[in-house]
Amino acid sequence: MAYVATRGGENAIQQSEQLFHDLRSAVTPAFVQNLLQTMPYLVDRVMSEAGLYAPELAALALAQSGGDLYESVLLLRAYCSTQPRLTYAQPVQSADLFTVRRISAAFREIPGGQILGPSLDYSHRLLRFDLLDGTGEPTAVTPAEQAANKVYPTVADWQRSQDLIAPLPEPEPFDSLNTPDITREPVAFPAPRAHRLQALSRADTGGTLALGYASMRGYGLTHPTINELRLAYADVKLTHPLTGKPFSAGQVRVSQAEVVSTGGGTPEKPMLELGFCATLGWNEVKVIAASMLDMEMNKPNPHPAHREEFVLYHTEAVEGSGFCIHFKLPHYVTFGSSMDNVRNVRESQTRGMFEGVFVQSIAKPTGNKAAINGQPAHTNGHVPPAQREQKAGVA
Amino acid sequence: MNNLTQLAAPYTATQKSGYSYGFLDEFAKREIRRRALKAVAIPGYQVPYASRELPIARGWGTGGLQVTLSVAGPNSVIKVIDQGADDSVNAANLRRFIARMTGAQTTTDTLAATIIQSRHRIPEEILRNDQLLVLQVPDPEPLRGVQPDLSQARIMHGDADYSQMWLTLYEQLVFFGRFMQGASYPVLVNGRHLMSPSPIPRWDTPKLHQAAHLTLLSAGREKRLYAVPPYTDVRPIEFDDVFFQVEAQQGWRCHQSNIQNKFMTELPQADGTLLYELSDTSYAQKIVAQAAGNAINLGPTYFDDQGNFYHPGFLK
Repeated sequence: MAYVATRGGENAIQQSEQLFHDLRSAVTPAFVQNLLQTMPYLVDRVMSEAGLYAPELAALALAQSGGDLYESVLLLRAYCSTQPRLTYAQPVQSADLFTVRRISAAFREIPGGQILGPSLDYSHRLLRFDLLDGTGEPTAVTPAEQAANKVYPTVADWQRSQDLIAPLPEPEPFDSLNTPDITREPVAFPAPRAHRLQALSRADTGGTLALGYASMRGYGLTHPTINELRLAYADVKLTHPLTGKPFSAGQVRVSQAEVVSTGGGTPEKPMLELGFCATLGWNEVKVIAASMLDMEMNKPNPHPAHREEFVLYHTEAVEGSGFCIHFKLPHYVTFGSSMDNVRNVRESQTRGMFEGVFVQSIAKPTGNKAAINGQPAHTNGHVPPAQREQKAGVA
Repeated sequence: MNNLTQLAAPYTATQKSGYSYGFLDEFAKREIRRRALKAVAIPGYQVPYASRELPIARGWGTGGLQVTLSVAGPNSVIKVIDQGADDSVNAANLRRFIARMTGAQTTTDTLAATIIQSRHRIPEEILRNDQLLVLQVPDPEPLRGVQPDLSQARIMHGDADYSQMWLTLYEQLVFFGRFMQGASYPVLVNGRHLMSPSPIPRWDTPKLHQAAHLTLLSAGREKRLYAVPPYTDVRPIEFDDVFFQVEAQQGWRCHQSNIQNKFMTELPQADGTLLYELSDTSYAQKIVAQAAGNAINLGPTYFDDQGNFYHPGFLK
């Protein structure tokens, strides 16, 4: 015989959520649409970290969560969990992308040309007070006399033709049923290349930047050059379930960065090597930082903060943010269990004996000076037991 | 036997909300069930799984929740506790979500539950072989303290190379005169795999040994699922001459139920003193209700009123 469990806590959490929403303006359909059109880069960042291309839902998530990025990403990821994975689109080739921005820092000019496209790179970072009081003049782009190309060859292909970069391996035949997918299977390390690129694609922008910046600033082994950076639209090509013919289900914004360095090949034949990242949406900082991390992770002995397992685990936006806020949950049972040890040690100190073991003067938890049989007790990064115990206590 | 309409009723209800029965899509539920079977087949072994995102934050019980959602049915009776309490806000939230997505009944009574999802406690009343305990796990890797690299830790498990754990115990003994592990005390399961029992207090650790019930432990963030099947040996690591010990709470008396020798939490008072309270709030309420003259179904407990464990000789 069961009964429905309703206690005070449930009302409290419902009211808490209500208060969150009451302290700001109501979300309207017009606001969501406005956000979608005014803030495409914010929407893109959320879609990229969520791994879901759904601009309207991303705008809704941002509006619904009051602009909290981590909450927005989680909302979209949680929505994905309810949707079966019906099929996989065909691979997209860089040379097929409808490209609106494409720059290379490696060469002054590249086949197909440098296309500046939309960017704030050369803007003066001055607050536009005229937009605040409504006196700002609307600006418009002057159309070019000649339309730019839609598609461009890749810089890396030119380098391959010059035998500067190792040739691409034979592409595996596309198999829509057996495409590696980190949302559907666990990642083991070393990760398959597809898993790594998928994880980087969904990685936290800030986390990717922090680790990537550490590499660029000097903890890395290379000073790479941006071979090619692209903002583009990609066709989502599916196979029609009845006719079996490919068709486009629409276009998505994508960004990709490819960095190049001279560390590859052998002493006899040095080669260029590449790092790569692509995301849903236009996320320039992230793709640059992540492509550098990709290159770092390929190194035989990277800095510990640039090893694959370290990078992929610690740039996971939903897991990192979730675990961080979990520390707000009550921990009084685990804390009490550790307190029990502290009290017992202090009591046994006053007795001088514990369980037949003579207790010597207690080493300071951070001390590394205690010796067992004349040998240092802790060597080679071994964690002193006091620190280890503290770790275990905060689960 | 239930008829189809009755079985399908919760599904029909959740369909109206636009979500699958049990929230997860059918592929996800199938994956969890398969991984759980593998986990049962290799006691204490951490089975990797894809781990879907859920509409609650990662690190807030998403691992346990995926298991519960994958095995709960319309006839399930769900109990959710956090640190032993049914009325903790997070427990209340998870319970509300499970009920909303499965149509299952909910309860606070340990004896009435068919599935108990718990964060960091095992109830005081002995679980039966028809009950499932789902423990939420923040860190599934007992070797994390000595080896943070998961790939290396997996190799150590493969070799059953747990020497650094014994060294840790020894060092604690030298430094402090006792084992200093608080909750999450590592255990050897079925004589083979070292396992983190999740951050349950040491008081609860022996309850896993030769238990009648199945325990599934699931870490959503870390994407690992493992199990202690019924009637499996679960032994805390210890030495031949220095033994694992539960928390010393002798003499602590619950200020509400007036009983002793169950796991207590401390309530600091403004005057500098401490009050003690049963961590298992459901058990405390049943004791109080019984004392008030109500007919209450109290089950046998793992530790009796004198603090003796129900497997004589297991605790030394």
